[in-house]
Amino acid sequence: MRFVLTKIGLLLLTLWAAVTLNFLLPRLMPGSPADAALAKLAQNGPVSPATKAAIEAQLGVPTGSMFDQYLQYLGNVATFDFGVSYTFFPQPVAGLVAAALPWTLVLVGLVTIIAFIFGTLLGVLAAWKRGTWLDTLPTVGGTFASAFPYFWTALLLLFFLGYVAGWFPTSGAYGRGTTPEFSAAFLLDAIYHAILPATTILITSLGGWILGMRSTMINTLGDDYVTFAEANGLKPRTVAIRYAARNAILPNLTSFGLALGGVVGGSLLVERVFAYPGVGYLLYTAVTNQDFPLMQALFLIITISVLLANFIVDILYGILDPRTRR
Amino acid sequence: MKHTRGRRTRTVFAVATVAAVLATSACSIDVDSKSDNTGTEGSMLVAADNGSPTFEKNFNPFSTSKRVTATYMYEPLQVVNTLDGKSTPFLATGSEQVDAKTLIYTIREGVTWSDGTDFTPADVLFTFNLMKEVPGLDNKGVWQHIESLEVVDNTVVFHLLAEDVPAASIIDQQLIVPEHIWADVEDPLTFTNEDPIATGPYVLGDFTPNQYKLAKNQDYWQADKVAVEELILPAANSQLDVVNNGYDWAYAFITDVEGTWVNANQEHNDYWFPPGGTIALVPNLTKAPYNDVNFREGLSLALDREKIADDAEQGYVDAAGQSGLLLPNQEAWLSDDLPDGGEIAQDTDAALAAFEEAGYTMDGDKLVDASGTQLAINIMTANGYTDWLQGLQTVQTQLGAIGIEVTLSQPQPAAYQQSLGNGDFDMAMTGFGGTGSVFQDMNLLLNSEFATPIGTTTTGNFGRFSDPQTDALLADLKASTDEAEQKTIAAQLQQTVYEELPVISMFYGGLWGLYSDENYTGWPTEEDPYAPPNTYNSTPLLILTNLEKAN
Repeated sequence: MRFVLTKIGLLLLTLWAAVTLNFLLPRLMPGSPADAALAKLAQNGPVSPATKAAIEAQLGVPTGSMFDQYLQYLGNVATFDFGVSYTFFPQPVAGLVAAALPWTLVLVGLVTIIAFIFGTLLGVLAAWKRGTWLDTLPTVGGTFASAFPYFWTALLLLFFLGYVAGWFPTSGAYGRGTTPEFSAAFLLDAIYHAILPATTILITSLGGWILGMRSTMINTLGDDYVTFAEANGLKPRTVAIRYAARNAILPNLTSFGLALGGVVGGSLLVERVFAYPGVGYLLYTAVTNQDFPLMQALFLIITISVLLANFIVDILYGILDPRTRR
Repeated sequence: MKHTRGRRTRTVFAVATVAAVLATSACSIDVDSKSDNTGTEGSMLVAADNGSPTFEKNFNPFSTSKRVTATYMYEPLQVVNTLDGKSTPFLATGSEQVDAKTLIYTIREGVTWSDGTDFTPADVLFTFNLMKEVPGLDNKGVWQHIESLEVVDNTVVFHLLAEDVPAASIIDQQLIVPEHIWADVEDPLTFTNEDPIATGPYVLGDFTPNQYKLAKNQDYWQADKVAVEELILPAANSQLDVVNNGYDWAYAFITDVEGTWVNANQEHNDYWFPPGGTIALVPNLTKAPYNDVNFREGLSLALDREKIADDAEQGYVDAAGQSGLLLPNQEAWLSDDLPDGGEIAQDTDAALAAFEEAGYTMDGDKLVDASGTQLAINIMTANGYTDWLQGLQTVQTQLGAIGIEVTLSQPQPAAYQQSLGNGDFDMAMTGFGGTGSVFQDMNLLLNSEFATPIGTTTTGNFGRFSDPQTDALLADLKASTDEAEQKTIAAQLQQTVYEELPVISMFYGGLWGLYSDENYTGWPTEEDPYAPPNTYNSTPLLILTNLEKAN
C-alpha cells in the first residue's frame, strides 16, 4: 500500500510540474498570437494598424499579470475549460480536441498495438530460429525500414501508391464531400483513407519491437531454466512461448505502455503529410499560430496520458516483479 | 562516435539505393491527370481555401479566421482593384467626393439579400454603426477616418474626421451585412454565421469538413454576368493536387510552373504572376551605420537586383525599382524625374565610393571602418519563407564580394513580426505596398506617425523613417482632390524614396494566379489586368462576374 501511495504522490508532483511548465513554455516563445495572425495576413498584402488592434480585440489576448494568468489557468485546468482557440476563433478548444482525438486514437493506437503484437512475435521467431532467413529477414528488414524518417516513408507511399498508381486517397481521413457518421459506408471510406498513414507508421515502428524482443529473448534463451526445460524434453514451441518469451517480454511491455501513452500525441509528421485531422496536425497548427489555449490543452493531454501510462506500468511492474517494490 | 558514423553511412547507402530504384522506375512513370472532379456540368474546382486540415464552419465576414469565400458572398460598396486602385461599383452605384471631408455613396436599388429581403441604405448604416459599437469588427479601421454617417434618400453620406481623400478606398472595401439578421446577433465577434445571408453572386451549398460548395445565387442583381453555376472548394490543395486534379483556378506558388502546372494541360493551363507588393530590405534608421544615407546608397548600388529576383522567385517576377511604386501597376504615377524610371543597376565602383563617404574603405578583400574592423551586417527574415531566404543568400554573396560580412537571422514568423514591429533588428526583409492606393502605400512606408519608439510596436514604416517635410507632403496628398496635384506630390515622395533610401527595394512579390481556360475564359491577364488573380479578399468578385463558359 505504501508503495502505491508513494507512486501516487510522485504522480501528483510530476503532474503539477508538467502543468506549470505547460503554462510557461508557450509564453516564453517570442511573438504573440496577434503577431502570428499578422504575419500570416502580411503575406497577402500590407496590414493597417487598425487590423492589429482589431485582431487583439477579437482574440481577447491575455492581459493581467503572469501570476493572475497562472491562477486563472490552474482553475481552468481543474475544470477542463481551456477557453477559445485563437486559430479557429471562436471555436472552443475542447471541441477541437474532441474532434481530433478519435482519429488519432484509432489510427495511431491501433497501429501501435498491431506493430507491438507483430513485432514481438517476429522477434520471438527471429531469436528462436537464430541464423536462418526467419532471423535475418525481419531483423535486417526492420532495421532498414525504421532507419527511414517517418515523413520520407510517408512521402514515398503518398507519391507512388497515391499519385502514380492512384490506388489510395492522398489526403484526409475520409472522402471529399462526406460527413463523419456511423455507417458501414463511412467506416469503409475511413479505413480506406487510413491505409497509407497506417502503413507508414507500421513500417517505421515495427523494427524497434522486433529488435527489442529479439535481443531480450536471446538472453533468456541462454538461461539455465530454458536449457533445463529443453533437457526435460518439452516441445520446442512450449519452451519458446511459455518459458522464454513470457519472461523476455517484460521490457518490451514497459515500452509498449509508454508507446500507448504517447499515442495521444499523434504522429505529427505522418498526419501532416496525409492531412489527417488528428491531434498531431492540430498540435502543428497550434504551434505555428501561437495558439496558447489550444497548445496548452494538447500538451496537457499528452503529458497526462504519458504520466498515467507510466504510472500504470510502474504499478503493474510492482505486481509482476516483487523486487521493484523496494 | 564511430558507431553513429557507421549508422549514418548505412542510412545514406540505403537511401541511395532506394533513390536509384526510384529513378530508374520513374522514367517510365507518367502521373495520370486524374480528374476526380465530383462536380457536375457548370462547376468549377478552385484551390482557394485550405483547411487545417479540415474546415471549421465560420462565415462571419468580420472574423480573421473566416472561410476565405465569405468574401464571395458578402459584397462591399465598391471593389478596389489592388493592382491599380480603380474602384468598381457593387452595392453602391458610385461615389462622389463632395469635398475632402465629405463622401457620398449612391446605394444600388433592386438588390435583395439571399433570403429575399430587400437591401437598403439602412443596412449600410447599420454595418458601419455596428463596427463603431464593436471595434473588434473594424478590421480595416474605417472608424479612424469617419466622424459620422447618415442616410439621405438612397445615398449614404460619410463625414470624415479630417481632409482625407484616400479614405474612400478604405470605405469602399467594407463588406456590408444585413441588419435584419445581425441586429439580433448577441456577440458579433464570436458569431460563426453558419447560414450566411448575403447579397453576392454565391450562396453556401453542401458543406462538409473536407470540401464545400458555393452555388450561384439565382437572384443576384447581376446574375446574367455569373457563368459559373457552382464552385467546389476542397480542403486539401497540395501542389501535387493542384497539378494533377484538374483545377480551374488556384492561387499557389508552384515550383517550375511551366514544367508542372502548364505541362499538366499544355493547351489550357496558364498562369499570371503580377506584382502584388515590393519585397525590400529595411534598414533600422535608429541605428548606426544604417542611419547614414551614404551607407544605404552603398548597399543599394552593390546589389544586382535582377539576379536576386531570379534566384528568389525562379524568374517569375521582375527586379524592383527604387521609386516606392508598384510597377507596372502604378505606372501612371511614376515620376519623370527619376533616372531610368527609378531602376538602380549594380555599380560596384559607385558603391565603394558611397561606402567611403560613410567611412568604410577596402582593406585587402575586406570593407573596414576607420578602426580596421570588417563591416558586418545582420539581416532578419522569417523562418520558412524559403523564397526570401534564397534572395537573401544572393544578397549575402553579392555584399560578400565587396568585403561585407552578412549574417542572416531567421526567427519564426510570429517572432519575426514582433521584432519587425518593435524595431528590434539591424536590417530586415519585408514587403510593402500593394494596397492599390499610392497614398496608402507611401503613407505606411514613410509617415513618421508609424515611427514609434524602439520597443513599441508599429505596423508600418518599420525602419522608423522620420522627416517633417515628407509628413507634410503626405498630409497634402491626403487632402488633395485634384489628380494633377496628387501626381506632383507623389513624384516628390518618389524622389524621397529614391534619394533617402528608407527601404532598399529588391524585387516584386508575385500574386501566384494559376488558371485553366478549358471550362471558363475571361481570366485577368497582363493584357487585361481588370483584377489581380488572387482568390482571397473581394477582388475575386470581379473575376467571377467576368468569366464566361468556354465553348
